[in-house]
Amino acid sequence: MKKNGIVLRFLQRPSAVIGLTILALQVIAVIFAPWIVPYSPIEANPLVSLEAPSVAHWLGTDVSGMDIFSRIVYATRINLLISITAVIVAFVIGVPLGLLIGYYRGLLSATVMRLFDFIQSFPVFVLGMALVSVMGQEIWNVAIVLAVLFIPMFARLIRAEVLSLRERPFISAARCSGATDLSIMFRHILPNAMTPAIVQISISIGMAILLTAGLSFVGAGVRMPTPEWGLMVSIGAQQMILGVWWVALFPGLAIVLAVLCFALLGDAAREVADPTARRR
Amino acid sequence: MTLIQYWRVLPRPLRIIAGRLVMIVPQMFGVMLVTFLLVRLLPGDPALLMLGNMATEEQIISLREKLGLNLSLYDQFIQYAGNVLHGDLGVSPFTSNPVAVDLLERAPATLELITYAMLLTILIGVTLAVISVVRPRGPIDYGSRVYGLAAGAIPDFWVGLLLIYFFFYVLGWAPAPFGRVDAMVTPPPTVTGFYTIDSLLAGDFAAFFSALGRLLLPVLTLAIVNAGALMKMTKTVFADAYRSEFIRHQRACGLSERTIVRSALRNSLPPIITLVGFLFGFLLGAAVLVETIFSWGGLGQYAVQAVINSDYPALQGFVLVAAAFILVVYLIVDILYELADPRIKV
Amino acid sequence: MSKTMSANQETPLLVVQNLSVQFDGADRPALDNVSFGLRRNEVLGIVGETGSGKSVLARALMNLLSENGRITAGDVLLDNQSILGMDDAELRRLRGGRLALIGTNAKALLDPVETVGSQIVRVLRAHRGGSKRTAWREAVDMLGKVGIVNPERRARAYPHELSGGMAQRVVIAMAMITSPQVVLADDATLGLDATIQVQVLDLLVNRCRELGLGAIVITHDLGIVAHFCDKVAIMREGRIVEIGPVGKFLSGPTQVYSSELLDAAKVRPTPIVSKTPEQTTGVKSATLLDVANLVKHFPIPGTNEVVRAVDDVSFSLARGETLALVGESGSGKTTIGQCLVRLLTTTSGRVTFDGDDLIGMSEREFRQHRRRIQMVFQEPYVALNPRWPVASLIGEPLALLSATESVDKAKRVRELLDAVQLPARLVDAYPHELTAGEQKRVGIARALATRPDFVVFDEPTTALDIRVRAQIIDLVRELQTEMGLSALFITHDLNSVRSLAHFVSVMRHGKILEYGPTETIFASPQEEYTKTLLKAELPIEQSQAQRERGEKRLTGAMR
Repeated sequence: MKKNGIVLRFLQRPSAVIGLTILALQVIAVIFAPWIVPYSPIEANPLVSLEAPSVAHWLGTDVSGMDIFSRIVYATRINLLISITAVIVAFVIGVPLGLLIGYYRGLLSATVMRLFDFIQSFPVFVLGMALVSVMGQEIWNVAIVLAVLFIPMFARLIRAEVLSLRERPFISAARCSGATDLSIMFRHILPNAMTPAIVQISISIGMAILLTAGLSFVGAGVRMPTPEWGLMVSIGAQQMILGVWWVALFPGLAIVLAVLCFALLGDAAREVADPTARRR
Repeated sequence: MTLIQYWRVLPRPLRIIAGRLVMIVPQMFGVMLVTFLLVRLLPGDPALLMLGNMATEEQIISLREKLGLNLSLYDQFIQYAGNVLHGDLGVSPFTSNPVAVDLLERAPATLELITYAMLLTILIGVTLAVISVVRPRGPIDYGSRVYGLAAGAIPDFWVGLLLIYFFFYVLGWAPAPFGRVDAMVTPPPTVTGFYTIDSLLAGDFAAFFSALGRLLLPVLTLAIVNAGALMKMTKTVFADAYRSEFIRHQRACGLSERTIVRSALRNSLPPIITLVGFLFGFLLGAAVLVETIFSWGGLGQYAVQAVINSDYPALQGFVLVAAAFILVVYLIVDILYELADPRIKV
Repeated sequence: MSKTMSANQETPLLVVQNLSVQFDGADRPALDNVSFGLRRNEVLGIVGETGSGKSVLARALMNLLSENGRITAGDVLLDNQSILGMDDAELRRLRGGRLALIGTNAKALLDPVETVGSQIVRVLRAHRGGSKRTAWREAVDMLGKVGIVNPERRARAYPHELSGGMAQRVVIAMAMITSPQVVLADDATLGLDATIQVQVLDLLVNRCRELGLGAIVITHDLGIVAHFCDKVAIMREGRIVEIGPVGKFLSGPTQVYSSELLDAAKVRPTPIVSKTPEQTTGVKSATLLDVANLVKHFPIPGTNEVVRAVDDVSFSLARGETLALVGESGSGKTTIGQCLVRLLTTTSGRVTFDGDDLIGMSEREFRQHRRRIQMVFQEPYVALNPRWPVASLIGEPLALLSATESVDKAKRVRELLDAVQLPARLVDAYPHELTAGEQKRVGIARALATRPDFVVFDEPTTALDIRVRAQIIDLVRELQTEMGLSALFITHDLNSVRSLAHFVSVMRHGKILEYGPTETIFASPQEEYTKTLLKAELPIEQSQAQRERGEKRLTGAMR
């Protein structure tokens, strides 16, 4: 339970090490993109359309002759920015909301829950697609939509924890020791309820990356020529049937790596937070 | 008071079904509210956006009238709800058909895809989960862990493209990713809308095998990605049951391993049913992507067209139908869940 | 079979030879060179505290250790056949067929989604085959034999529809249906009410004797051993410390540890008489707490009916006095405690504390009284916030003190640790790092932090090991005399009541049946229910019948 013990145990897991390594690579890509890439990520060059990977173009070029490696590196910025922003916003709104509707059981809490029911009765991708399409295909709109989709997830997670925690005897004991509602909510319940939500952050970022890519793939996310992984895969999709594999393959790999990174970090976090998960 | 007494004498399954059916009315109402508000989010004049830039002044005025845009928001919703209940989802300016007709035409294609994908997903996911729990630290256990991690990270549209590249372009085993049957084959007469079933009913084996071949890659794509998630969740649930006190007691009573696994699986059934329900939602979303890749011509592709063409009545209609479909799935899931678990009071 | 009958006395049915078990990563063996024998028609009691290895022993006897445990040495012979040498099929026939295990918490041992009848059928058919219909008839028959009323109907019930005692009977039926040779009862009655416990054990032991089976009763309750067992083995840290006839053990254990256990289990002789100033001067002490016509109803969801958990209860308590509320689960005793500290809202009635009406006042006003009225919670671990260190846990109630009486928090925490006899080094420990006894002490320290006038102790001695329980009782006795504490003592552990309370109220179905000084109630109970309750408390001495049985066995063995 001691703080430095948790960090240490986290770092001892192979999944955490691999996850952090990929994350470090991505952070480097985000910060140093202009110095890493050999070509402009948004300038078309019809002269070098659809070139296979070579020394000049490490990962080849797409149909309009843009360098795929350069675009993948730059896209890290967009993809991580959208996903991480969306998840943080959802966490910051969802967690207190979940705490309140779990702790106070009134008409308002019930109404909020029903609202979540309605939102969640739509398939996530379908609702995301519709929302972005009516709000306008902007980067920030994608982030807002993802945040809206994730808020119920965080709120429900916290609420479920709160509901079971509030019936635990230590809460009654705290009440007898004079703890006020505020103290019970924030000093007793919240610290005990946070673990699954914190684990969920990492997993949600992965989901957000997949959703962003999916939206752009069907043309409901960011638009050309913005470098974005899903969009890049969709550009390569038509050529795949013709045997031109590199245009779609590499940005797809970038997505896999990014999602894997956050999934591994989430797994490691869960195992550290919940010792019973280790026995499997 | 007397109503409650009548309620209590009903057999349990009837009570479960009736209780859930009552719930669906407010849920459906909420879903309509969300789809209604969806189009209200549009910046600018919905009538103009719905008709597109080619619309004449009269068309806009008449549509504003028809949509009731001059009415209060409340009245507008009532009108919208009324229309929906009468099966009127508006007219698509792009296909010029009533949206309801368009959707109905395309629904079987998507349903067939999802149904087969679901069956394969359950088969793969549950089997792997059970084996890896019963034989921990075996090859399947380790393999399934890697698979579970990878499946959660791979975008379905990308898997679809890779499958096409290998099985169509490189190996030539799979048919071309264009539609539900070979262009040379006439689709069977519609009975259920499922080509595989209809072709068998018609005794048309050429169509049957063509449809089956076309289903192969898209179904595989959906199953590969989603079976991972189902497997991971089933594993947790099944492992809990398999290591519970009563299973240990059954072992101490000398029951055979087969009986024990079956009993643990039976106890994991309620949560697995819930998971499968959620999966339908995922699959419907994933179908949008996969249909695009395989030119499937179902609801998903229709929705993507609607997005690209800013065809809002079509999009609104699709979202409504998707949500209604999910509601029905959840309804069935809830009923099955309560039937499967005798501890739940109804 | 008939030939071996005459040789019964000589050849033991079950022989355990130098059995040792090691778990991966443990620093000492879970079982260390354990040997004993069990004859037909013999009941062996195995007694030990948490971690003594008694449950591991039960599992090792069936060769059914969890994955990370191994038998490292020794052998187990049933009818001269080694259990460790059996293949999987033989083991399956053994488990539940020849050696039947009856575990703790029967409700968790039953498959929640199957009817109990079909679960018994499943076991029977796994061992004897046969048609479902005849197996079902046998199962129903067996349910009747284990004392289940209306067995046809009950066979079709799901486990969650049964009470704990009923579920335990089902598990016994499951064990008995295959006519095993040896029955292992591993804390089989833990958590059951005393009256039910005696019924279930009576049934179990009698059936074993009727059929001439060998039985091993694993328990931490020496009363059960005294009452039901022929032979007793005391276990500690994986070893058998002492083994011998029960009569001999009770009259004089040979090992230090066994006599410690025996002493700890016995009643503290004199109920404490606290000397409050009023009493020493001969003046009748003032009433501190007066409860009049307390009623608490819980609505039953989905109906207009209510559960009358507390039904018109009145009592009063003087300063320095301890009143015990005793009764079985569901009698409403815990509900009363929770109403007094306002964890539950009272339906009707009056509670006067030192002249103030507690029920009528607002939450804000009551907060002023919280420091004077405290509660020690039942389960020590779950009543402590798992993320708080001991210092914060004990210090929390100090916030109740008004600014003028504020104290040096760290100093007060040290004082309190001292008062409950915990070492000062534990201030930074977290609840999961403490033993059950230490957790209980932290709970008591919390309640004492604000120097309350009145403390509710909710089941302070349940689920504790024999010696820890004795220590907690001694601690509470000291606190009573030193601090002149008034206390309400909620428990079903009659043994502890005798050591702690001045007065006793016997509760049943939300009502107080009988009230009086502790001595009087125990010596001459008036109500029939009180008599049953007292009879169910098993004294740590052998009954006449049991003593005779022991003597007969002894002479039989010598002949």
